[in-house]
Amino acid sequence: MADQPVSRYDLLVVGGGSGGLAGARRAAELGATAAVIESHKLGGTCVMWNASSHAEFLHDHADYGFEGACARFSWQSIKNKRDAYVSRLNQIYRNNLDKAKIHTIQGHARFTGDPEPTVEVSGRKYTASHILIATGGRPSTVSDEDVPGASLGITSDGFFELESCPKRSVIVGAGYIAVEMAGILSSLGSTTSLIIRQGGVLRNFDALISSNCTRELQNSGIDLWKNTQVRSVHKTDSGLKIVLATKDPEDKDVEEKTSSIEGVDCLLWAIGREPNTAGLNLGQMGVDLDSKGHIVVDEFQNTTRKGIYAVGDVCGKALLTPDEAIKSWGKSSVKTYTTSFTPMYHAITTRKTLCVMKLVCVGKEEKVVGLHMQGVGCDEMLQGFAVAIKMGATKADFDKTIAIHPTSSEELVTMR
Amino acid sequence: MNIYIYVYIIMCLICMYVFIIFMCVAAGGKFDYDLLVIGGGSGGLAVLKKLGQKVAVLDYVEPSVTKWDAQKYGWQIPQPVSHDWATLAESVQNYVKSLNWGHRVQLQDRKVKYMNMKGSLVDDHTVRCLSSRGKEVRVPGALEFGISSDDLFWLKETPGKTLVVGASYVGLECAGFLTGIGLEATVMVRSIALRGFDQQMSRLVTDYMQGYGTRFCWDCVPKKVEKLPSGLLQVTWTDSRTGQDHQDTFNSVLWAVGRAPETGTLNLQQVGVELDGDTRKVMVADDERTSVPNIYAIGDIAQLTPTAIHAGKLLARRLAGLSSQLMDYSNVPTTVFTPLEYGCVGLSEEEAERRYGKDKVEVYHAFYKPLEFTVAERELRQCYIKVVCERDGDQKVVGLHFTGPNAGEVTQGFALSLRCGLSYAQLRDSVGIHPTCAEELTKIYITKRSGLDATVTGC
Repeated sequence: MADQPVSRYDLLVVGGGSGGLAGARRAAELGATAAVIESHKLGGTCVMWNASSHAEFLHDHADYGFEGACARFSWQSIKNKRDAYVSRLNQIYRNNLDKAKIHTIQGHARFTGDPEPTVEVSGRKYTASHILIATGGRPSTVSDEDVPGASLGITSDGFFELESCPKRSVIVGAGYIAVEMAGILSSLGSTTSLIIRQGGVLRNFDALISSNCTRELQNSGIDLWKNTQVRSVHKTDSGLKIVLATKDPEDKDVEEKTSSIEGVDCLLWAIGREPNTAGLNLGQMGVDLDSKGHIVVDEFQNTTRKGIYAVGDVCGKALLTPDEAIKSWGKSSVKTYTTSFTPMYHAITTRKTLCVMKLVCVGKEEKVVGLHMQGVGCDEMLQGFAVAIKMGATKADFDKTIAIHPTSSEELVTMR
Repeated sequence: MNIYIYVYIIMCLICMYVFIIFMCVAAGGKFDYDLLVIGGGSGGLAVLKKLGQKVAVLDYVEPSVTKWDAQKYGWQIPQPVSHDWATLAESVQNYVKSLNWGHRVQLQDRKVKYMNMKGSLVDDHTVRCLSSRGKEVRVPGALEFGISSDDLFWLKETPGKTLVVGASYVGLECAGFLTGIGLEATVMVRSIALRGFDQQMSRLVTDYMQGYGTRFCWDCVPKKVEKLPSGLLQVTWTDSRTGQDHQDTFNSVLWAVGRAPETGTLNLQQVGVELDGDTRKVMVADDERTSVPNIYAIGDIAQLTPTAIHAGKLLARRLAGLSSQLMDYSNVPTTVFTPLEYGCVGLSEEEAERRYGKDKVEVYHAFYKPLEFTVAERELRQCYIKVVCERDGDQKVVGLHFTGPNAGEVTQGFALSLRCGLSYAQLRDSVGIHPTCAEELTKIYITKRSGLDATVTGC
């Protein structure tokens, strides 16, 4: 025990994702010696969504006067570019760490039984006065005991290994990952079904978003199965056979209906994510976990063991429920403004999508405490508004802001 | 992706123009109307939709489009793909007509009487209606062979090889759009592009356009336009640097040298409304009142759009006695919908330095990489963010500038933040939304003063 040399740092980070890298780099800037332990690759990306956006725009080209633009999609082409891009990013992250003189340790970390918190990677030991756990999360899976044949499906990680576009996809889940995967696969040409346990998707978001998104999914051609669960998965010559059970909760008398989807070449489980804490050997460290395995932290990111901290997906997050405002302030104090419209882009296209927006205000001065929206461009719109809301913007501030024309974002400052 | 923006900009230009409001004091039914609006553009309609009691409007419209990245994203498109002008023009015309119809329906719902004719002042409470269809000549020289941006979508055939005279946002947007649909476009610039805008940002916009095939004739002034027997237009211009004359032929010449206020036919001097000597714009006070007590002016005739709508609504509320709030013309956000879009709010760097002194200004900046440009292998060098702050105290943000995709959508929320008194610290304190271009605004930390490389690395 005493023979083995233990490398000592000011800050030791377990996990080279967003949280871990940010912590390590900032510490190094402040003069600390730091090391990052990572078992896989550094960083990640989302170019697949852009590819599917192009798919949608291509459908509209004829409406905009472009002739002869019927296109075929090459999955291999985008996969190669995406992989190349991710590799470049990995290299950039690596360079950033090297420049900051942060040691990168490749391998899987486990806490040892030493009196001072110590981590072991591939037989070597490391310790620090401050250890940050930022191991993130991983997709949840269903065991073959619960659903026979479940392991024949992939998760979102497996999506990035696909070499070609699946002809027939079945996605299970109602969260944002399931919705994004279904949307991307469908617009890139895969016949796609989405299996959800209840009546709508994105149930943890505002009701306006949940209902609009559910509707838009169906409008875009995705085969949505509500109130349905997967019972079993079987391998056949023509692909996977997924056996489903549907039960309408409104109808107590009706029996559970059994159906199946055949010829499936991609079954994707997107039923949730769980924290990467199991392999860390935290049991004896005095670091408390919640029932789902998340590390419990206070507002300073302290765990229950002094000198050990945690950030990111590995921690339990406070989930925002749609009627949180009413719970906090009371129904009479809460006022909402909503709007829905067809974005200008669709003025001359046959294909239409809807944009929905909602502001949640409280009190006499109508302080804006919530902003929810879905539609073309909402990703880029939100940042500036988020900054303003954090500053305490009121509805009057919104109204006094001049609109930029023509945009969709202007609808947020002209609501009544 | 840029095409639809250009289309809508042109449509707006067709719909938006100047007007004057008359307020007739309702003294026991002495006047036909409580409020008569000349001009059914954005400002006029905004006022009308607010009120509606015994209101009438005189409206007369005088009519004055990529390389896309899909292939880089793996889409195999059989070449050659062509663009059909007629399809686009027809769609736009139908849409504009539907918009006009929409406005007509709204006015009707609010019981506003709509009159499709031109108006001119007889005295401070009387308007004479003219129904002539005469075209107003605004730009000296070659108007008979040229078109204005208003006319673009009413052309039956494609404009072909086009010369755009003027590097205002209208000129640049038109040239950018034409290049985008595969036409040869040249911009003739007298001195600088986007006058009044931050000039560093203006250069990024034009550099990008040049990189994508729009030609620029810098420091050139058109001398004459002649029509050749072939039907082509021959343009002669002078290069003011060398004094030399040059010539070239074009299918179309588009004039985008500025929008002059439509004051000519209104007979304003007769009733005592004063105009600015140089610009011919109506002189107004903070509350949009002209030199004649019951006559107000808003919109292009007095100020730049798109504040017209806002000014219109506030004026209506004041006239109806509902509020005393004046229009605040500072921190008006704008977006220029050129191929590389440019969104801004607040002061340019030059203006900030003029007002506060170079020593008292701190400029944070970054060259960032939009995700959608990387796979598409688009030019990234002009995607740029600049936040101009006061150097002392909490470093209040006085100007914010962004070039990149979806600039309009990105800028709106930040315009709100500026209105709320945004400081650099608050900007940096915000959590970024990933992956977006907008989040880059919350990550800037390199100052111009430091001289360090401002290129963003990593995701």
